[in-house]
Amino acid sequence: MAAAKRLKRVAASQPGFLNLKTTLDSVDSSSSRRKRVNKNKKKNWNKHSDINDVEDFLEDVRHQERTTGGLLSEKSDDSLFFLDVGKPEKAEQKEEVVVGKKRRGKTSRPLRIDLILQHDSLVPPAKDVLAYQQPNAKKLRRIAQKAEQLAAKGIVTRRQKRLANRQPLDRKAKKSVTEANNNPARDYYDIWGQESKDSSDPWYLQQTGKKLVKRPEKLNDKPSVLPAVEVIAPGGSYNPDFFSHQALLQEAHAVEVQKQKEEDRIERQLAVNQDDKATEDTILKEQVEGLVVEENDEETAPNEEEDDVAVGAIVLAEKKTERQRKREKADKMKEQQRHSERQQINQQQQLFQLRSIKASIKQQEEKTNQKQKLRKANQEAQKSQPRRLGKLKFKPQDLEVQLSNELAGSLRRLKPEGSVLKDRFKSLQKRNLIEPRERAKFKRRHKLKYVEKRAFREIT
Amino acid sequence: MGGLQKKKFERGSATNYITRNKARKKLQLSLPDFRRLCILKGIYPHEPKHKKKVNKGSTAQRTFYMLKDIRFLMHEPIVGKFRDYKVFVRKLKKAYGKTEWSAVERLRENKPTYKLDHIIKERYPAFIDALRDIDDALCMCFLFSTFARTGKCHVQTIQLCRRLTVEWMNFVIASRGLRKVFLSIKGIYYQAEVMGQLITWLVPYQFAHDHPTDVDYRVMATFTELYTTLLGFVNFRLYHSLNLLYPPKLDGKAMSELKEEDEDDYAMNSECYLEKLSALSASLSRVVSATEEEDAELDQFPVEGMEAREREQKQQEAQKKLFEGLKFYLNREVPRESLAFVIRCFGGEVSWDKSVCIGSKYEVTDETITHHIVDRPNVDKQYINRYYIQPQWVYDCVNAKIRLPVEDYFLGVTLPPHLSPFVEEKEGDYVPPEKLKIMALQRGEKPANEQEEDEEEEEDDDEDDEEEEEEEEDDGGNDEEEETEEQNLKTMQEQSSQGKSLQVKVTPGKVTVENKARLEQEEKAEEKRLAIMMMKRKEKYLFDKIMFGKKRKIREANKLAAKRKAHDDAEKSKKKKARK
Repeated sequence: MAAAKRLKRVAASQPGFLNLKTTLDSVDSSSSRRKRVNKNKKKNWNKHSDINDVEDFLEDVRHQERTTGGLLSEKSDDSLFFLDVGKPEKAEQKEEVVVGKKRRGKTSRPLRIDLILQHDSLVPPAKDVLAYQQPNAKKLRRIAQKAEQLAAKGIVTRRQKRLANRQPLDRKAKKSVTEANNNPARDYYDIWGQESKDSSDPWYLQQTGKKLVKRPEKLNDKPSVLPAVEVIAPGGSYNPDFFSHQALLQEAHAVEVQKQKEEDRIERQLAVNQDDKATEDTILKEQVEGLVVEENDEETAPNEEEDDVAVGAIVLAEKKTERQRKREKADKMKEQQRHSERQQINQQQQLFQLRSIKASIKQQEEKTNQKQKLRKANQEAQKSQPRRLGKLKFKPQDLEVQLSNELAGSLRRLKPEGSVLKDRFKSLQKRNLIEPRERAKFKRRHKLKYVEKRAFREIT
Repeated sequence: MGGLQKKKFERGSATNYITRNKARKKLQLSLPDFRRLCILKGIYPHEPKHKKKVNKGSTAQRTFYMLKDIRFLMHEPIVGKFRDYKVFVRKLKKAYGKTEWSAVERLRENKPTYKLDHIIKERYPAFIDALRDIDDALCMCFLFSTFARTGKCHVQTIQLCRRLTVEWMNFVIASRGLRKVFLSIKGIYYQAEVMGQLITWLVPYQFAHDHPTDVDYRVMATFTELYTTLLGFVNFRLYHSLNLLYPPKLDGKAMSELKEEDEDDYAMNSECYLEKLSALSASLSRVVSATEEEDAELDQFPVEGMEAREREQKQQEAQKKLFEGLKFYLNREVPRESLAFVIRCFGGEVSWDKSVCIGSKYEVTDETITHHIVDRPNVDKQYINRYYIQPQWVYDCVNAKIRLPVEDYFLGVTLPPHLSPFVEEKEGDYVPPEKLKIMALQRGEKPANEQEEDEEEEEDDDEDDEEEEEEEEDDGGNDEEEETEEQNLKTMQEQSSQGKSLQVKVTPGKVTVENKARLEQEEKAEEKRLAIMMMKRKEKYLFDKIMFGKKRKIREANKLAAKRKAHDDAEKSKKKKARK
């Protein structure tokens, strides 16, 4: 140790020694003033001799050892400096190297960042005593010893037994749970044959939500009486009989004509009325509007009327006299009497009209009966009609028809008409199973912003 | 004047209904989820009688649901699953956004799913309910199974649909339940009888898809989701009703036959089985071996109307064995699946070129082939011991319930029209002459035009006959059977005049029987006449009205028939001119 210290001191005294903390010397020299003290006592030596420079020096040496891995002065110049010869040359050099052995170089050379971070101090790190200690070592050792003893005797502990008896983890059960509904290899079973097996308490099942709620009977009624599959008319055969084909064509034609009519009607309604068109006369009137002064009479007349009305509303009804009231009362009484008399006479007369009354009653009843029947029939017919279930009305599909010249002579040359998918979809709508809907339109939330690309802008 | 003032819209229909949006909020679901839930549970919107009242005075058009239905929906366990799914999607999105792939994987593994089994059980408490509602399911599954796997819907759904439809077709083949087939321009309509229920479904032609844009695919996919579950359970039950194994297994023998071929060319090992099933050429294996079928005759009890039923049954049995013993070969241009299905449904054997599909049983060169189905004008190499016919023959035979004469369906021949078997003519309706011909064949009469030389004349004769018949009907002859008998006699006369060898054995006993029948009929007619005479004035009026309607119909039918005759004549003359 002493030898090393001496060596360092020697090194430091040499002129080429580099100090890491360069400022120290200058500070010391400026602040020092000579002080007289007795140096015959060892205590005073310690007290008054300035050993800062030595301490600093040693500290610096240690610091250098710690951080740079040895004294800087002893290091070669190559390890400390490099010659900066500029960028391009280096790049070219590197490229050549890269082209030659790209892979090998990359794998063998450590990263620069790793090199920098590498631990290169000469001082070994402090030893961590705790790392060599095991907590509860004594206890564990004792337990192990005991276990060995028991094993030697052939005794199995309860804990071991339990471990041995534990069932292996069920991995398969979990997989069966997560099987998708449309798995093509899924298996089926007799769903109608077996009765529910769980015989647990129904009250328990109900309270825990495990029992399914009974489906109301009414829900099993179909919303329409139409059959699921409506077979196309005989004219829709791929090789149809002449007349049935004509009948189907006629039907399709009628539908088309109806559509055309509807369109025409709308067109007519939208057409501009000839009377509404501006003629020269009206144009002139419009242009002259307000320029020609009209007579004042028309303007003043309505004002007067308004005044009259306003006054009339406020005017109170005049009070009736006693006499007037009495007369009115008497008139009223008289009127009532006359009315009742008239009624009595009418009733008496009705005795003689019995036959005609009977006839009329009968007629009325017949009428109501007929109406009832009609209503019933209508209701029956309604059952097979598509209902109005939403915003849109049900629109029947276009009839699938092939014209006479489109018909294929043989099955090979047949061109299928229409789409079965659409037919099914419309059938579901027709039977009121789903409501007719429109495809949702795409709605942009934010407006699109158009920007010219720079490359494009430069050209234009 | 006490009491509180009645508030509007707090009682009556206004409280029985709920708008869609409110229902959605009540269930705390998004609109697509709500729609899906309603479809799965079978809850449909309802049109209230008094819209304005229900709508609280507003006349805006809205979608309404019954409040009780929505309350019922609230108990559904699937609602919870929908909410879980929403959360799952949110988490997944977040994980994606943060590029946490391990989290994405973990979430994917624990994706919430749900089953519809309990809903099926709830909506269709008995098997027969499910069977009645199977039409829709079949249509939808057949439709989805033809979709291209382009991302319009899940590939898995398409595969499942394919599997289920193939199972269904195999079941129909095994049960021999097919009744009617109709080739329309839209697709092929099939009708089968399964456990006494008539089931109709529509199958699109292959490769006929343009995807329409105005169809909501999400809604359709939801329906399909429900229907695949339903169809699977129905299939299971049906297979077990026939003692067939489910999932279907091909017969051991058939399996080994098919195995020798190099399968790897067709499909991967995993798909091979389904492909073989969908070839429809092999029979399925049963739980109990097929030999001991119910041969025991049923006990017979004399019940009224039994005879008619028996006759019907016999006819059906005969129809089931329509193609038994025939061997078909399909050329490559005909629709293989449809034809194989139909032919196998009626007991025929069928095969095709090896390169068309897996599962062909024999080659073209097989000498035992009886019918070769071709859909092109001519064939290069023809074998002498088989008929070369167009595919329509098969379908027409099925609809006519007899084997039709093959002459009309030879190669290059203009086909007779393909009539719809779904039309049932009432008395007095116009019946196309082709159908009349088929009906005559069904009654067992020989086809009038056996000799091709005097075909035209005979056709004329036929039509004359029809006209006479209709005229008689016009006169008010209500007894059809008499007429048919007369017609029989006439045809017999004609045949005898043509010099055909007929079995003329007229025993006296037979004559009396006929007389008896005739007497009976006369008696009946007399009774009817008397009954008409005894009618009250009101009833008589009604009766006259009905009769008038009938007559008018007959007149119209006659008009159509005359038109047809004129049309045919014109065509004939045209042909003659062309010949000259």
